[in-house]
Amino acid sequence: MFETRLNSVLFLSVVALALTASALGSYPVYLMSLAGINIIAAIGLNLLTGNSGQISLCHSSFMAIGAYSSSLLTARYGLPFWLAIPLGSFLATLVGALLGAPASRLRGIYLALATLGFLQIVQIVIEEFADVTGGVRGLNVPKATFAGMYVSEYVRFLLVLASTGFAIWSATNLLSSRVGRELNAVRLSPHAAQALGVPVDRIRLTAFALSAAYAGLAGGLMAIVVGFIDPGEFGVSAALRQITFIVVGGMGTVAGSVIGAAVLSAMPELLRPVKEYNDIIYTLILLGFLTFMPRGLVTLWDSFRIQIARATSTKEART
Amino acid sequence: MKERLRIEKLTVRFGGLTAVSELSMTVAAGEIRGLIGPNGAGKTTAINAITGVVPITSGLILLDNMPLTNLAAHQISHRGVGRTFQHVEPFGDMSVLDNVLLGVGRHSHVPFVHALFATAIADRGEKQANSDALNILERFDLLSYRDSLASSLPFGILKRMDLARALAARPQLLLLDEPTSGMSESEADHAIAAARSLAESQNITLLVVEHNMRVMMALADSVTVMQHGCVIAEGAPSDIQLDRKVIDAYLGEELSDAAP
Repeated sequence: MFETRLNSVLFLSVVALALTASALGSYPVYLMSLAGINIIAAIGLNLLTGNSGQISLCHSSFMAIGAYSSSLLTARYGLPFWLAIPLGSFLATLVGALLGAPASRLRGIYLALATLGFLQIVQIVIEEFADVTGGVRGLNVPKATFAGMYVSEYVRFLLVLASTGFAIWSATNLLSSRVGRELNAVRLSPHAAQALGVPVDRIRLTAFALSAAYAGLAGGLMAIVVGFIDPGEFGVSAALRQITFIVVGGMGTVAGSVIGAAVLSAMPELLRPVKEYNDIIYTLILLGFLTFMPRGLVTLWDSFRIQIARATSTKEART
Repeated sequence: MKERLRIEKLTVRFGGLTAVSELSMTVAAGEIRGLIGPNGAGKTTAINAITGVVPITSGLILLDNMPLTNLAAHQISHRGVGRTFQHVEPFGDMSVLDNVLLGVGRHSHVPFVHALFATAIADRGEKQANSDALNILERFDLLSYRDSLASSLPFGILKRMDLARALAARPQLLLLDEPTSGMSESEADHAIAAARSLAESQNITLLVVEHNMRVMMALADSVTVMQHGCVIAEGAPSDIQLDRKVIDAYLGEELSDAAP
């Protein structure tokens, strides 16, 4: 019953946002698209870090893999964007599984360093294979077309919106199922998990592949929304920003990913006058939340809900 | 009687330390076997070796004549070996129901793709798992805690949850590591009664590590005594109490208290 209610809330929000955006200008719609893309990426990272308990400093690299591979599939092989983006996400998933195989045996600082190394490798590959990727100068993404017509800003937003809805829905499904319990169990007590038959290493690897799938999807969407990609978009700063999303929103919950990414997506706009200090500000926010609100903004929502429940129950008691 | 567990010359070394040295024992199906010995005798290491948590140096472990050696810990669980933990190892951030659902998960496996798309199959699997888990919670008198986070519960209740979780996986052989430590006398009696009725009603073989001789007398069909990684005596609990070597190594002064 709870899930059907959640699904209808999700569906109504998507419809409401689609209607709202139809009345807005091109720039706000563009910003909303970017927020949706951030939400999808945050959902993926949160499954990996918040649920399975594995730190990753290379989530942005999987976005890069999705963005570059889908753009190149369109530019070089003429694949339509609606096919290229899922393929890009699929490729990111494969690479995620490849990285997950060794990474799932590492913990803490070693895992952080290994993922940081992977991020550097992806950066170097993009920069060195400039013939294909455009190198540091970036890559112009072919405009998305459908039936011979350019896809408008608004329609691209609808695509992002639908994908975000799908990401929220699918991740919620996973977390409320056996898969979600196993991800959490692996984080909370790998010993007890394996004694109950949970294949700990395979679950950790699955988490890597799964998070890369969401990141790859986010990357492919980013490419067609922005129209231009360069390696700087997918560097350490981006990875740090994504970690900030889930820490600010709340680790281990889909709501946390959505809230954190949505709130912080507005930040670059607010910080435009002090753009060069962005990384410092993100780091301060990250440290602030880790120190003072380690469970993230989602706890505000929980306590708000409890207060509402209390208020209504006292009202009922009075009547 | 059918033999469930056979251990042949099991040796476990950690660097220069030999924790278990040429341990051999057999446990019959449906038996309740006690494993006692002073601290450092290698009891928990033996359990960890059987469950695949620590690598064995040499020897053989067979469950129903199939070797467990060289299997990963989760594969050993799938062969039907369950365990509880001395310090419980709860999934702290999860509800008691979710803890037990993880045990149920060993035999009710909703495929990933079905879980992702919340298909009818996933829905049915989840409902079945839930009702199985609730049955177990009821049997262990834990229903009132179903939605409590494990981290918020006292040790005695966690001990019960640990046992419920292990049984939810429907093991054939269950290894209990100090099941009554941290329990009051009456809680311990309750746990003994529960373990006994389980072993009988579901034909689960139990291997119990326990310090408390009173518990051992009440629970075990037979007892194996370990010291310095070796077996020094084996037999019925009443005989073991009178064994000179056991008294010297372990029971000592406590014997008079431990006698029933």
